[in-house]
Amino acid sequence: MTIKTALGDNHQFGSKSSRVTTAASLLGAATLAAVAKSRRGWSRWAFVLGSGYLAYRGVKEAQRPETGTVRVSFTIEKSPEEVFQFISNPNNWKQVLPEFTIDSSGEVARIKLHAHGLTIESDAEITDRAEGKFVAWSSLPGAIEHRGVLRVRPAAGNRGTELSVAMEFNLPAGQAARAFLSFSGHDPEQLVRETLRHFKQLLEAGEIPTTAGQPSGSRGAKGTALRFVFREQPGEIPGEPIRLAGD
Amino acid sequence: MKALCWQGKEKVRVETVDDPKILNSRDAVIRITRTAICGSDLHLYDGYIPTMEPGDILGHEFMGEVMEVGRDVKKVKAGDRVVVPFTIACGQCYFCKNQLWSLCDNTNPNAWLAEKFFGYSPSGLFGYSHMLGGYAGGQAQYARVPFVDVGALKVPEGLSDEQVLFLSDIFPTGYMGAENCNIQAGQVVAIWGCGPVGQFAIRSAFMLGAEKVIAIDRFPERLKLARAAKADIINYDEVDDVIEELKWMTGGRGPDACIDAVGMEAHGHGIPAMYDSTKQALKISFDRPLVLRQAIQACRKGGTVSIPGVYGGFLDKIPFGAAMNKGLIMRMGQTHMMRYMQPLLERVQRGEIDPSFVITHRLSLDEAPHAYKMFRDKEQACIKVVLDPWKDAVAA
Repeated sequence: MTIKTALGDNHQFGSKSSRVTTAASLLGAATLAAVAKSRRGWSRWAFVLGSGYLAYRGVKEAQRPETGTVRVSFTIEKSPEEVFQFISNPNNWKQVLPEFTIDSSGEVARIKLHAHGLTIESDAEITDRAEGKFVAWSSLPGAIEHRGVLRVRPAAGNRGTELSVAMEFNLPAGQAARAFLSFSGHDPEQLVRETLRHFKQLLEAGEIPTTAGQPSGSRGAKGTALRFVFREQPGEIPGEPIRLAGD
Repeated sequence: MKALCWQGKEKVRVETVDDPKILNSRDAVIRITRTAICGSDLHLYDGYIPTMEPGDILGHEFMGEVMEVGRDVKKVKAGDRVVVPFTIACGQCYFCKNQLWSLCDNTNPNAWLAEKFFGYSPSGLFGYSHMLGGYAGGQAQYARVPFVDVGALKVPEGLSDEQVLFLSDIFPTGYMGAENCNIQAGQVVAIWGCGPVGQFAIRSAFMLGAEKVIAIDRFPERLKLARAAKADIINYDEVDDVIEELKWMTGGRGPDACIDAVGMEAHGHGIPAMYDSTKQALKISFDRPLVLRQAIQACRKGGTVSIPGVYGGFLDKIPFGAAMNKGLIMRMGQTHMMRYMQPLLERVQRGEIDPSFVITHRLSLDEAPHAYKMFRDKEQACIKVVLDPWKDAVAA
């Protein structure tokens, strides 16, 4: 299936920036700076200059637009009709993506992510749709580019339904932006994976499992830091569980 | 309330924390009447299970009285006396529907973290690291129990707390360890580790038709308890080679099934034991798989190796050539609790077994830090510690 997009059929997503180049440049810059510290005279300035150049290259590389692809699939113990109907209901999206506001009342969906006092915006439109089967979307020209397709199809062996998303994206500020997003749990891959997982959990178990709001002993600096690493920073307690047919 | 909190390697302390509350509509909050320290808690105590956070409330063997239930709870009600299984299951996913409860798809809030370690996420567990859910545990005065209708086992009248408490983990775990051996009448089963899970595995193996059970340990009190169940014993401190000894005791055939009821912190003698300890001390490995190596090597051709013991990471020097060429069957996993709780409760009711036989120490929650150390170091002939969270204590 070809996805028709507002970005044009031949739109090129930016080239993938290299983590190795970034890391090597920044490491080189730090090494030369350390050497410069121990030198005197003209050679010191040569090392300072070299260090500055490598630091500039590293930062530039980190800022190159970061492209990526996401492919996530979950199998859900419900019929394709139930799954498609569930994901077609905007209220259910509010529950799995509480930090987003998605206004899909008009032709163009206005998507906003509110996190850490920042608001990140992107507009998107549905480019193709087959009831009960798939929805394809594409971002409109803007800072963040993304396009993809969400599919619903029966799983082999009467094992329920496969819900999948395949998408590609382009982040303007490159690795730096992705690292920031990743740290706060908003990396595109993570976001898609957890969204689909939460749909599965709501459809099968009727609730999204959580520990937000449970008691604990004193966490200290290490415990608090680990909560960030494990993406457990106290967020919103999930909303009221929905009721499912047959519940 | 009071709760036992993990603060780092060999550091646990009783802290005053908030009372738990209902967070999802299928939750319950229970007032804990009895709770126990599990051998697998010692892996946390010794700092060998990754993704723990200072402040975590430990404990996954507990029971009590239901105080409050969420609005979608149907079967359990306030006032019920329940035993809580250590695995949390949704009851609706493919795995729950196929009785593979400890592999539930929908109860680990940190499933992504487990996926990094294991490829796919098992179910959430109480008080057992953040990659397995980060749920607050039950060595406390109260606990929140998610999906209470799926997990909690109502206790019938006439049974004491101590008779049913171990349906929360170690009795079903020992039983599944034996059941996984697919024991045929007349067979010989060797069991490494005569701690609480090993003791239940010994008794379960006999229940399932084993003719002879050989129990392996080094502590006299544990071997004595094994002998009380009519097991033959090997004290590995007193024999040159456990594998040769097993061969001798089984007419040169080897045991039909071998159960590793020890897991990641095995003790032993010789170069392999030193190698494992060195690696663990250098943090190259979480596990000391000495028992697993012996079990694979000792097992008869075409036999079964069953592993209820907990392992955490990447094991090495596993004699996989032996496993492959001898055509072994290997079975393992966290216990599928909900498959076993009711049938085993009925065995307790019929008087076939009184699980309280393993208890050696009855202490208050305040004494838990001391109890961990005593249990780890096998002081005072400690086999199993049960804690009363309300003894000598007023709810904070």
